[in-house]
Amino acid sequence: MLISNDSSFARNVGGVLVESGVEIQHKLKGFSPAQKFPQAEFSPYHNTTYEWNPIGSGIMWKSYNFPVFLLSESSTSTLQEIAMKNEKTERAYTTNVAEFDVVMQTTKVGTHDSESCLKEETCLPLGGYSRKKMSFANRSDVYSYGDITILLRGGMLRGGSVWSALPPIDRLSSNQSKPIILAVASMDAQSFFRDKSLGADSPISGMISLLAAVDALSHVDGLDDLNRQLVFLVFTGEAWGYLGSRRFLLELDQQSDAVHGLKSTLMHLVMEIGSTGRGLNQGNKTFFAHTEVSSASNETLDALKLAQESLKSDGVTISTANSSNPGVPPSSMMAFLRKNSSTSGIVLEDFDTIFANKFYHSHLDDSANINSSAIVAAASLVARTLYVLASDNKNLTSSALSAINVNASLVEELISCMLDCNPGLSCELVKSYISTTNTCPNHYVGVVLGEPSSTPHPNQVDDISRFVWNFLADRTSTPKGDTSVCSQDCGKKGGVCIRAETDGKGVCVISTTRYVPAYSTRLKFDSGTWQLLPPNSSDPMGMLDPVWTESNWNTIGLRVYTVQDAAYDRLVLLGGITVTVLAYLAILLTRAYITKALKQD
Amino acid sequence: MTVAAGIGYALVALGPSLTLFVSVISKKPFLILTLLSSTLVWLISLIILSGIWRAFLPLNSKTWWPLAILIFTSVAFQEGLRLLFWKVYKRLEDILDAFADRVSKPRLYLTDKMQIALAGGLGHGVAHAVFFCLSLLTPAFGPATYFVDRCSQIPFFLVSAIIALAFVTVHTFSMVIAFNGYSEGNKVDQVFVPSVHLAAGMMTLINFASGGCIIGIPLLFLMAILTLMHCGRMVWRRLTENQRQGNS
Repeated sequence: MLISNDSSFARNVGGVLVESGVEIQHKLKGFSPAQKFPQAEFSPYHNTTYEWNPIGSGIMWKSYNFPVFLLSESSTSTLQEIAMKNEKTERAYTTNVAEFDVVMQTTKVGTHDSESCLKEETCLPLGGYSRKKMSFANRSDVYSYGDITILLRGGMLRGGSVWSALPPIDRLSSNQSKPIILAVASMDAQSFFRDKSLGADSPISGMISLLAAVDALSHVDGLDDLNRQLVFLVFTGEAWGYLGSRRFLLELDQQSDAVHGLKSTLMHLVMEIGSTGRGLNQGNKTFFAHTEVSSASNETLDALKLAQESLKSDGVTISTANSSNPGVPPSSMMAFLRKNSSTSGIVLEDFDTIFANKFYHSHLDDSANINSSAIVAAASLVARTLYVLASDNKNLTSSALSAINVNASLVEELISCMLDCNPGLSCELVKSYISTTNTCPNHYVGVVLGEPSSTPHPNQVDDISRFVWNFLADRTSTPKGDTSVCSQDCGKKGGVCIRAETDGKGVCVISTTRYVPAYSTRLKFDSGTWQLLPPNSSDPMGMLDPVWTESNWNTIGLRVYTVQDAAYDRLVLLGGITVTVLAYLAILLTRAYITKALKQD
Repeated sequence: MTVAAGIGYALVALGPSLTLFVSVISKKPFLILTLLSSTLVWLISLIILSGIWRAFLPLNSKTWWPLAILIFTSVAFQEGLRLLFWKVYKRLEDILDAFADRVSKPRLYLTDKMQIALAGGLGHGVAHAVFFCLSLLTPAFGPATYFVDRCSQIPFFLVSAIIALAFVTVHTFSMVIAFNGYSEGNKVDQVFVPSVHLAAGMMTLINFASGGCIIGIPLLFLMAILTLMHCGRMVWRRLTENQRQGNS
């Protein structure tokens, strides 16, 4: 903020190093570099000045012409020492300096916006399937810097959104007209520092609640007999212009392979699970249902009330959000509603009028910012509500509802796998499905490399997407225990290969679980390059899409060292020359003296 | 360090040696050969010493006596080698004199012998400077500099260059004194050289104290000046004696 207001100060800033440490988080009451109404341009209502995120400073979206590094804890203490030394030093001719080694291809080549850099192939669009690690995000109309971190993680591969049906949709059956209940969450986070985007409360706590709810529902018998089909959907790219949800809706319209089995006409209602990790208030777990005014939402609210009743002993409450709210909070639901304003949908959040997350979209939104019991409570609420909705009041018994229980240790495990470095992605749960060399998880969406498709090669998909896909496929598979070694005809039977990286050829299970590519609807991959399509009035959200891309970059580093004044160096050189010349003179004198003395006699 | 500073440090350590080479050694090919072989011999001696002492690393740098033992044994080894060096030189001198007799040319003059000793000593000095100073400079080119906590007033490279200059002086002129002492049988000279070498070596231990280099380095230069003066006096005495002998 200081830098954007004071240009003479800004001129003297060569770079910024951001400290990290546990004490810092405790000192800060909140920090959010996002805007006060994140992604307001996609809202389905007109009040875009409403402050969902009042702490938001918006510094993430400004352009700076210097790099900003986030230091690890050990580097922070080292650099603090060096900064102190700089102040206290008695030597006038030395200073400690920091050198940034950062080369962004888009800057070097001069392609400052997405359209030109995509054409010149100096950048790649954000979305599923990334390979290269990158650092700057370029808007199609504004050039923006920022986001380098010294905590370089191993090359992240990105995958797309994942959807899964419970029970699996029978492809061969002609009876595919069960209305669909869609339960939605997102798996990508954002922060000022690309490599430290954990998003513990927003949105990973919601994703964990959804995964735990799927696990709880997978133990219920007789889901086949229910009136409605449950479909779970985990989007990626939501933080960068709702890439996942918009692409999904487009693919749904186009009835592509990725969404085979789903039809937009069958969508009965959408239930989105937003942030749930901060729902703990003095022992009670409170959540809020945000909705647009629509008649079918009443059905969802009633289902939620039923679920709340069954969870009364656990202190779980759900209320409708304040009616003075302008509408749904920033969520994938905004994309659904923009596409079709009559979509019946609800967004479950842990806040009412403003975000409860004081570290929204910042690198400080980590596991210390959430509470696992709140996530468990939300998962129970979601699981039971979905069961109520799917059964459509047919033969609904309270005993059936009470039998749906969320495994709290699974939630703990998911938190430690997705939001901590120890054990991180080397935890047992993740290791049983995928093999990865990364331990520290990171939820930045990444870039799309190569042609997007619904059947990507596993090494084109990132760890989190692969894990979610395997997990959902495993949990939604029926019948339980009917597995065989993967072979060619697994797909023909209507099955998928899970654990393919960890268990030989993998295990074939009957499940409807697919990837959906996630990238801007304004982009098209054509003969090896990405093309920016012109704005099209049939895609109103695409017209507002900034089309984020990430520049290509090489290794990034930061060095700190002591430097001597150039004057001192010249003095040393002069000293060396003087010593040499004096020695020469001494030798000449000695020689002359000896010769003279010897000749005397 | 930057290139300018690097050249400066190299000149501080080896500038006088360079001038000595240009003005005295380069005039006679035999002296160049002596210098090169001497440098080689002394470099090998340093490598052997470091090879032997490698087995005892890492040395505890908190206490000074392991380092004192290191210095003592190294100096003893080098002085022993100097004696060997002298013996080889004596044989060479005899061969050269015999050859001169056969071709009826004059034998080696005193000044020639002293110059050969000087070349030998310069070889020893250059070997020391290369081993202890230049080897630190060559990998260190870049924008930064380095200061040691215990001697924080001047850069580390400057400290090592100055110490190397002192030792180059000590080694160069010690060889002249030593050869003269062995040939004359002069006990004072024979004892002087190892003592000064040992004293100079032990004085570097003073640098281990915090701020010790302020005392240690001037003391080292004192040793160097002492060597220079003793050498000058001895050379003067021998040359004037020789003159009188020649005339009488």
